[in-house]
Amino acid sequence: MRKIGLFLGCNIPLRRPDIEYSMRYVLNKLGVEIVELDGATCCPAFGIMPSIDLVGWCAGSAWNMAIAEEKEVDIITGCGSCYGSLNEARYHMEKHPEIKEEVNKILGKVGKKYEGVVKVWNFYNYIYEEIGIEELKKKIKYSLNDIVCGTQVGCHNLWPSKAYTSNDDNVFKPTRMREICEAVGGKAPWYSTILDCCGMGALGSLAKEKSWALWRRKVSKMIEEINPELFVTGCSSCLLRYDNDQAQMKKGGLIDFEIPAVHIAQLLALVMGAEPEKAVGLAEVPIDGIITKIKGGK
Amino acid sequence: METGRETNVIKLDEEFFKEFEKELQEAGMSIKDLRSCIQCGKCAGTCPMALAGLEFFIKKIVHAATLGLREIFLDDSSVWGCQSCNRCVEICPMEIKPYELIQAIRRVSFREYAMPSNTIDGLQNYYKLGHAVVVKGYENRRKKVGLPELPPTALGNEEMRKKFQEMLKNTVLAEVAPFPLD
Ligand code: SF4
Ligand code: SF4
Repeated sequence: MRKIGLFLGCNIPLRRPDIEYSMRYVLNKLGVEIVELDGATCCPAFGIMPSIDLVGWCAGSAWNMAIAEEKEVDIITGCGSCYGSLNEARYHMEKHPEIKEEVNKILGKVGKKYEGVVKVWNFYNYIYEEIGIEELKKKIKYSLNDIVCGTQVGCHNLWPSKAYTSNDDNVFKPTRMREICEAVGGKAPWYSTILDCCGMGALGSLAKEKSWALWRRKVSKMIEEINPELFVTGCSSCLLRYDNDQAQMKKGGLIDFEIPAVHIAQLLALVMGAEPEKAVGLAEVPIDGIITKIKGGK
Repeated sequence: METGRETNVIKLDEEFFKEFEKELQEAGMSIKDLRSCIQCGKCAGTCPMALAGLEFFIKKIVHAATLGLREIFLDDSSVWGCQSCNRCVEICPMEIKPYELIQAIRRVSFREYAMPSNTIDGLQNYYKLGHAVVVKGYENRRKKVGLPELPPTALGNEEMRKKFQEMLKNTVLAEVAPFPLD
């Protein structure tokens, strides 16, 4: 049986645990055993340790990766920042053995060791490469019934490509997320601002209005070109922007549309038959219409 | 070839920016790389900070760094608005890795207490709870979707959390954390 270490990060277990529920549901249905990474921490996020010290960052990431190594599993994450931070730290240590050595001195003080053998997957690449589109299709209970999906891959899922061992063939023309949406019966067309950043993250903290405007600029183009019925993100931070922040913008009268949003793990959980109250139970933009359409779309 | 044109050259005082270069180098930015920037602007063309309208975006940041303008970074908080998206790293024709410069500048600024308050809060949460971002009410949200109130992370595992804190005491946090590590 396949096994994988589920790396939760911060936003997924604490802010949007419906994504955690969905990841568990989907992996379970796909016959992948989930190994808990007991005592794992924040990746660490780019705004904290990486902004303070390179070795400290690598030590923080290595703490998490060492937990997976002890359990002899690779890691899967649904958060782009976690995916980026862990992989970049892994890459730095691989390229600079002296950093890895320093890190192991630090970990050694508490009886831990980082070997550097763990692979860190993001959710959709794991589905795409390890499970495969054909296998995925066999596990689907409902079809998306031609729902038009506006996809948001997420910056960290694509770049810096050097740090990633799995990726789209062309990191400026990604197709994997869209292929998955289409494999489960949706339509996921290309649109001109598909690569743009959602603005969530440091920019949102430093200049909220500007970062919201950045998202609106991106999304209004998307609506004009493909008129999506559902946003699908490859990253949990992007989901916070597409769902939670969208709801706030709507309330504040900053937008005149209301388009539900899900993380790709939630999308797959729904088409595999998960209870919506759990799989998308914390969505803020109303999503009932999409659920009805999915359930009627066998 | 004789063009009949004279090129304007600014003479920089080496001493002036050597100190800053040394700091950046120690903070993880290769100065040799930095100096090969040709100011082509490709990084800016793809940078979300620039697209969002921050005036002091990546190309200017690289330029200011090559000129040794250290004080600018202590006054202007733009480097803290960087999305860590790595578009600039992916696209730079000189392989300068501009994002690594952002991180290096942040590391230098942090030691001068020129950082936003959410960096301190995040760091403190990271040390105390194992998570940088802890939004209140998580127990109820988890329960609502059928998950245990506490996740299996350091937050829900005291023994590992203590060990993690011990580990962090052996990092640079012991010297630079703006809060006590106890
Ligand atoms: S893309 Fe590279 S070479 Fe061009 S301005 Fe930016 S840092 Fe300099
Ligand atoms: S990593 Fe930062 S500086 Fe580079 S393109 Fe992204 S936001 Fe701009």
